[in-house]
Amino acid sequence: MSTKESQDGDTSKMLEILCKMEEAAEDILSDKQQLIDLDRKRQKTREAVRVVSKDKENNKQWVCFGNMFIKFPTSNTKAMLDKDYDKIDQEMNGIRHQLKNKVNKLRDLEMKDDLKGFNLNPLSKEELKTVEGFC
Amino acid sequence: MAVPSADKVQEIREVTRIERIGAHSHIRGLGLDDALEARNVSQGMVGQMDARRAAGVILEMIKDGKIAGRALLIAGHPGTGKTAIAMGMAQALGSDTPFTSIAGSEIFSLEMGKTEALTQAFRKSIGVRIKEETEIIEGEVVEIQIDRPATGTGAKVGKLTLKTTEMETIYDLGQKMIESLTKEKVQAGDIITIDKATGKITKLGRSFTRARDYDAMGAQTKFVQCPEGELQKRKEVVHTVTLHEIDVINSRTQGFLALFSGDTGEIKSEVREQINGKVAEWREEGKAEIVPGVLFIDEVHMLDIESFSFLNRALESDMAPILIMATNRGITRIRGTNYQSPHGIPIDLLDRLLIISTTPYEEKEIRQILKIRCEEEDVEMSDDAMTVLTRIGMETSLRYAIQLITTANLVARKRKATEVDVDDIKRVYSLFLDESRSTQFLKEYQQEFMFNELAPSESMETS
Repeated sequence: MSTKESQDGDTSKMLEILCKMEEAAEDILSDKQQLIDLDRKRQKTREAVRVVSKDKENNKQWVCFGNMFIKFPTSNTKAMLDKDYDKIDQEMNGIRHQLKNKVNKLRDLEMKDDLKGFNLNPLSKEELKTVEGFC
Repeated sequence: MAVPSADKVQEIREVTRIERIGAHSHIRGLGLDDALEARNVSQGMVGQMDARRAAGVILEMIKDGKIAGRALLIAGHPGTGKTAIAMGMAQALGSDTPFTSIAGSEIFSLEMGKTEALTQAFRKSIGVRIKEETEIIEGEVVEIQIDRPATGTGAKVGKLTLKTTEMETIYDLGQKMIESLTKEKVQAGDIITIDKATGKITKLGRSFTRARDYDAMGAQTKFVQCPEGELQKRKEVVHTVTLHEIDVINSRTQGFLALFSGDTGEIKSEVREQINGKVAEWREEGKAEIVPGVLFIDEVHMLDIESFSFLNRALESDMAPILIMATNRGITRIRGTNYQSPHGIPIDLLDRLLIISTTPYEEKEIRQILKIRCEEEDVEMSDDAMTVLTRIGMETSLRYAIQLITTANLVARKRKATEVDVDDIKRVYSLFLDESRSTQFLKEYQQEFMFNELAPSESMETS
């Protein structure tokens, strides 16, 4: 009888661990998807900046806010887009940073060692030259 | 590669290594459980429970980076698994921790000094972990549009459309990018990466979706999948290089080629000092981690007194690896002196060592080892033959018994049998002499050999 009980306990514990692992993995996947979405937005913003800065004829641009198109001064539009671009960049960096912790958490649940070395600061191009041939 | 850390998980280099069947090729690890208790037979290891447990403790300390600058001595009779334990430790450490294995006599070379050889061995055993980070744009070229001025001269402008499976975008091209695109002969359907910092373009291959565009295709055309995920990715790669590798790259003009030619020669101490300084700087800036590895010196009694005192000193340096030594000598003369010392190692060095000793195998263990070796060498053996072989192993030596496995297998194959039988063992036993029978033979027929006039009492001079 007691063996059966302990077996049940084992099963529920295993399920619990598996659940946690799925959860952590899901978290990572959703972050990856978010990175893709953000990059798509970033590329579109970059394209817009290029278009706006190339247009020398009009000093006003049509900008869509929600459901409405508004004519807006070019300089303001550009400043706005630039700000957006920087913000997206920052956000992506933030997610990438967190992602490392999340991956390590998942690895912890999978009983694997942490990935080593990813928290180091990167070497610069000149510094890499001194260890050339391996990189 | 979009999410470097996540993708790194899959990025395991799959290279099938064809290894020769060597004396210790069956060793896969130390064969310990999670509580560091030695399993009787596991990962190719048999018996030597105490030694393996001790080695396991050391191993955990190495993994935690706690015992840099310590040394370990594995002492025991010949054929009791000293090298096997060291190999097991190397296997268990994984590929990330540098493991160098040398034999004591390797340091005596005409090309470099003893201390140089030892220093190189030391530096081969210290890894430096560094990270390389690049921002790249990776995608499949959908379209390249280049506008040339009608006059033929003047600045060109253009547009490049790139896509991944998730998105598509247009880049405006300047004069310089157009030039490098033409130089790389990039066309629609190519998969390219652009390094964001330098603007360097690399062609990875052609997209699979364009595989049937032409029939006439060069053999070197490589087809790749359209990249997934975001277009602009960050690629992080972590490398572990050894200090010796950095030494070699920076001490020679021909660069890393010297590494493969094997002829590295002596490295100037100034170069080493500079590199030490640089690595220390990186460490402080959080750019590098030191990975103390393991240096294994087999047959350590072959080192002489100068080498020993060098080791003494080298162990105290702040970037010292873990030193593992193995010897099968008892109290013997230290090479280069007339003094006797346990294991042929000076007392002052011996004092710094943790000593693990191996004991002779028991009959059961010998049988087990022989069984493992049979599997390793793909030899099938009947139970009776195994018993006979075990007896031989007990009475002569384990190594001799292992030698008989392959030879007996050949004899068995000659009579077209699939299994080695007692007769095969008997046959090879009569064909090949073991050490004691050979000695016996020599004693009997001493008079018939050459130079037999030497007085038998005179002991052999080895150094």
